[in-house]
Amino acid sequence: MTEGLQSARRGAIDPHLSIRHYDADADLMLLHFGPQHPSTHGVFRMDLYLDGEVIVKATPFLGYLHRGVEKLCEKLTYVQQTPVVDKNDYVSPMINEQALNMAFEKLLKLEVPRRARWLRTLLAELQRLASHLLWLGTFTLDLGGALGGGSTLFLHCFRERELILDLFEELTGSRFHYNTHTIGGNRHDLPAGLAAKVEVALAAIAARLGEYEDLSLGHAIFQARTKGVGTLDSDLALELGITGPILRASGVDHDLRRDAPYHAYDELTVNVATEHAGDCFARASVRFAEMRESIRLCRAVLEGLPEGPIAASKAVRLPTAVKIASGQVYVGIEGPRGEIGTFVIAGGDTPTTPYRLKIRAPSMHALAAIPYVMPGATLSDAVAILGSLDPIMGEVDR
Amino acid sequence: MGVFSYWIDTARALRTTLRNAFRPPTTVEFPAVIRPRAERYRASFALVDDENGECACVACQACEKICPSQVIKMKSGGKRESPVTGKKRAYADEFVLDLSACMQCELCVQVCNNDAIVMIREPEEPAYTRADLVFDMAHLRDNAHTKTATWANGTRLQEMQEGKKVPKAKPEPKPEPKPEPKPEPKAEPKPPTEGGTP
Repeated sequence: MTEGLQSARRGAIDPHLSIRHYDADADLMLLHFGPQHPSTHGVFRMDLYLDGEVIVKATPFLGYLHRGVEKLCEKLTYVQQTPVVDKNDYVSPMINEQALNMAFEKLLKLEVPRRARWLRTLLAELQRLASHLLWLGTFTLDLGGALGGGSTLFLHCFRERELILDLFEELTGSRFHYNTHTIGGNRHDLPAGLAAKVEVALAAIAARLGEYEDLSLGHAIFQARTKGVGTLDSDLALELGITGPILRASGVDHDLRRDAPYHAYDELTVNVATEHAGDCFARASVRFAEMRESIRLCRAVLEGLPEGPIAASKAVRLPTAVKIASGQVYVGIEGPRGEIGTFVIAGGDTPTTPYRLKIRAPSMHALAAIPYVMPGATLSDAVAILGSLDPIMGEVDR
Repeated sequence: MGVFSYWIDTARALRTTLRNAFRPPTTVEFPAVIRPRAERYRASFALVDDENGECACVACQACEKICPSQVIKMKSGGKRESPVTGKKRAYADEFVLDLSACMQCELCVQVCNNDAIVMIREPEEPAYTRADLVFDMAHLRDNAHTKTATWANGTRLQEMQEGKKVPKAKPEPKPEPKPEPKPEPKAEPKPPTEGGTP
């Protein structure tokens, strides 16, 4: 029934629809969705115009979590910025750190030691796994927790994510704000015995992914809630600058790990999962495939982890340790949500601070799809669509 | 199909739920049981003593300058004779650390050339006001005696990044800022108390 309703509306989707010119007889209602709504994953607000239960117009509002991180980075020196960008995408801080430090390394033309590159690959893949686990938990919670009763899958996913955070705690000493990357390498090397613990955690997660699939992808209620909901076609996705699993779910075979290899990805094979439907279900399947791929990559990295130094330069002892006179550079890497990029213009007030630092947040581009995919969906689908876009407001607003 | 498959899948999901009900619990009752904290776990700070029982900090301000949140404030006391050894050395008269604004990035530990500031594994007790989270020198030095330090100190972190030494797995909280053989090494920096809060 819902499907018929949607396809009837779909023909006339206009993201810039003027409500004043909408059908005068319609029983329109304006609904403020968020910023305190639990399924907005933070502080995100949408204005939804509802005709009955069907959304006719959706307008996203950003900025509730704006902290001025980019401006702050203009004041901090290069070596002080890593702990600050940890807080952008607070579900995958490792990848924020990598994107930032890789930009500085590219400006300095610094060669990162091989072990550090492999270590970064391991951390990135573990972080991707942890991030997707959190997404799966919250997404099914958004869908009403109907799958297996209450917040079952949510708690299961958090249990497994905890295994990864424990590993990070042993490696870096922190569960979330790691500050483990530095310009030219890593700050922490693997402690003795951690490689074996990674294997154990990966085996535990790999064994339980099947259970999650039973509770989500393979579940008829999950399929009914997600199939055909929030369809995003590839042209629109490319036009909006959407990257990552959302783009791949729309049928575009694009993954920076394979197409523009960095870290150790040129020495590894990355299998990129794509789907063609472009709906919430396709996005969920792509992320499931990526979790399996991450586990495989982690194991490959552990097998081939080379010995050697973990940093190219001396350890930082002064805030002014890194000086960049001039130049500008953009570096983009594949995060769990898409391309996390850092654009730096060197040469600020002092040689140790950038003139401008811009962070490209994939979640922000994903939210740009909202005015296009929401109209025609019902109110209950709005939550499913938002959950499948997996926005992290920390990096959207920065 | 339709509604019927919902029932089948719900039964399948219930099977998974039941299977999980008989798995060992992953949580612990916190105040009674404290999970072992990792050797590198960073929670709060301590100022360690040198082998003479004096504060190892010489107020070089390296940590104050590198702190991204600028939570460390110190006042140098200048050089004066040590009451223990009789030799001249620099002292910090004041050392204030505002934990409420700290983001535990460990940069201050890394830059410390005397291994004076380290992080400890036990979190501080909750405070009623923000002023209670501003620690003075006495509190930080007390932490070094009563709490467990992490694996990291300045020397270890620098050596790990510069590849001079293979990282050790065991923590041995024994800072040696000056290798001077002194007769009475009193106030040996605390043996590691096991994992929990005192």
